[in-house]
Amino acid sequence: MSDNLKPKNEFPDQQGGNKQKKSRLTLAKQKKPKPPKKKWLTNEGKWGLFMISPYLIQFIVFIAFTLIASLYFSFSRYDMLNAPQWIGLDNYDKLINDPVFWKSLWNTIYFTVLFVPTQTILALILATALNQSLKGLKLYRMAHFIPVISSWTVVLYVADAIFNPRFGLANDLLLKLGMEPQQWLNDENLVIPVLVAVAVWKGIGYMMIIFLAGLQNVPEDLYEAADIEGAGVLQKFRHVTVPLISGTTFLVLVLSTITTFQAFEQIYVMTGNSGDITAAGGPNNASMVLMLYLFQQGFAFLKMGYASAIAWVLFLILFAITLVQVKLQNKWVHYEK
Amino acid sequence: MAGKWLKISVLIMAFAFILTGCSDESGGEAGTNSDQTEITLGFYSSGSADEKMNELIQKFEEEHPDIKVKTQNAPYQQFFQKLDTQIAGGTAPDVWLSDGVFVQKYAERGAAKDLTEWINEDLEKDEYYGLDFNKDSDGKYWGVPQGIQIGALFYNKDMFDQAGVEYPDESWTWEDLKEAGAKLTIDTDGMKADDASFKPDSVKQYGLTFFNITEGWMPVMKSYGGGVLGEDLRNSIIDSEENKEAINYIVDGMERGIFTDPSDLQAFQSPMSPFPSETAAMRIGIYARTLAANETGVNYDVTVLPKGPDGERFSPTIANSWVISESASDEKAKAAWEWVKYWVQEDEVQKEWAALGEAVPVKKSVANSELFLESGDKPANKQAFLDSFEHAGTLDVNAVWSEWVKKFGDNINRAFLNETSVEEALENADEEVQKVLDEFYENQ
Repeated sequence: MSDNLKPKNEFPDQQGGNKQKKSRLTLAKQKKPKPPKKKWLTNEGKWGLFMISPYLIQFIVFIAFTLIASLYFSFSRYDMLNAPQWIGLDNYDKLINDPVFWKSLWNTIYFTVLFVPTQTILALILATALNQSLKGLKLYRMAHFIPVISSWTVVLYVADAIFNPRFGLANDLLLKLGMEPQQWLNDENLVIPVLVAVAVWKGIGYMMIIFLAGLQNVPEDLYEAADIEGAGVLQKFRHVTVPLISGTTFLVLVLSTITTFQAFEQIYVMTGNSGDITAAGGPNNASMVLMLYLFQQGFAFLKMGYASAIAWVLFLILFAITLVQVKLQNKWVHYEK
Repeated sequence: MAGKWLKISVLIMAFAFILTGCSDESGGEAGTNSDQTEITLGFYSSGSADEKMNELIQKFEEEHPDIKVKTQNAPYQQFFQKLDTQIAGGTAPDVWLSDGVFVQKYAERGAAKDLTEWINEDLEKDEYYGLDFNKDSDGKYWGVPQGIQIGALFYNKDMFDQAGVEYPDESWTWEDLKEAGAKLTIDTDGMKADDASFKPDSVKQYGLTFFNITEGWMPVMKSYGGGVLGEDLRNSIIDSEENKEAINYIVDGMERGIFTDPSDLQAFQSPMSPFPSETAAMRIGIYARTLAANETGVNYDVTVLPKGPDGERFSPTIANSWVISESASDEKAKAAWEWVKYWVQEDEVQKEWAALGEAVPVKKSVANSELFLESGDKPANKQAFLDSFEHAGTLDVNAVWSEWVKKFGDNINRAFLNETSVEEALENADEEVQKVLDEFYENQ
């Protein structure tokens, strides 16, 4: 039967009025045995799913499930050892009235505001400088990349050699210049700037590499054209380089904003005495950032519900900031068509 | 065709996933005889202690052929982080070694088994040190000590000799300590704390190094008659005259450069290092601190901690303990109890563990034997640790210990650094600590 109908389907336009009606009916009937299009997954789709299944399973188990669980926990009292108890908005209510939460939010923002522009600008300058054809260039690039691959514990030792209030180089230098020695990480006002300085040193190599990749995509002929127009080095940088790597710059900005909001390890290692989570974030909570506060509340004090609430607030803030960045990019980011 | 393959591969994957994810449970059972009880034993570990622990476990298995012990261990921080997650996931070890300050955290949240009955039945309480430190205010026991840490005064004999100061003894008060400390404190120009031109900001050698709770403010406050929590451990008694006096004593010592303040300590790679590195002449130290001191070869000895103004003495004590999981089956809990008994009752075990030198033995007969008192070279006066038991007390440990310690520490450190007055710091600490306590106990 289906064989008979087939030609009619193929040329529905040639049918008369009556027959057309009929063929529509049969067409509807016929869709069932005609599998490929209606099936929710094609064979290729299945294979595709299969190929990504390790990641998919990982995503469902370790990300999607935990996300939902943490949202649920954020509305409950949960000490990990006992079943969570639903308490509605209490955690969020407490959050709003918690001075340490506000302080850590402020510290996080302060950290980001200092860190992101500093790192971005310095990385760009560094990348431009290293985007030349010089001898031993690879060596310079590598030198800047070494802190990136070092662990925070190693960086801590280097930083300590500099900023140790008793034995550090920084205070030696200040003394030689006739200035007062500083307490650095023990000083409420200095702790974040010092942390930022170290973080920039550690992270700059990575951003520099991203910038380098961007710089190498700028077509040479544009510079040649600019040369012909008589543009100086700075003008070329301002009018050719900057607009053409704006896409890269955008990426760097988003990436570094996200990493600073997630800053944890560095502050944990550098301010916590011998890995003591309850000691980290000092002095007087001056370097307490959201991630650290979250971890402390959750894992040291067993307030998983409260920690989850902090996590969701952190997520919302990050989401909002990234959204703003994406919206703003239309204004200044230039993509080559 | 592809559909079939997909199903098969998904099955394989799921199986592999279960295998890798749950190997902890499924792996062990296979090798166990049906008449054997398998228990999981968790402990935090460090180098040499690890080896000894495994040796003792092996001996235990030989003596108890019906029990098989599987171990889980990790360095201190990771161990406790993992433990909390394991308890949450219902996969906690059947018996684990808990830092003494965390026993109540598990007990009051229902993760630890009440051991009162078993202890009453099987243990002669007078034979052991520290059993009572795991007792809650209702008189229930939640753990059995594995090793005891108790505070004493460590002093560097060479530095005392050099300064011509007499060694400390039982007669010392905290004021005596400060007086002697002043003579032992030297700045970078070689001036002593009592000299007019002494610079407290550039101290080269401190009289006393002072480190947060156990080896810092707690023994001073308690011997001054103060403390942090009342007897029920649910109320703050921070804002008291006695505490004010004690903290003033400490702040004065720090201001004069005789004691290390929190920011001085930050300058050392480890806050524990001033004594073994001979940057401080004295320290308040628990027994385990002898390890570092012996390692660096400092010429030191110990004595009991100084008395407060009214002659009261206080030795801070931590009883690191075996805790049995509330969720362990009866059979496993009983097997775990066998392990605990084996640990505290067997002289051999106690001796072997004591030989490591990281804790005072739990069993009094072993602690009072030559084996402990004469072991190793230093300190000569190990008896001081045992004498300290007469004045032993806990660190006001309860379920929210870490949290209130953090609140208290944050406030008191500001007073230590002269950022606020002692009165204000105590008032704030009192308020914040009470809030932590209320929040937890209101919901219990």
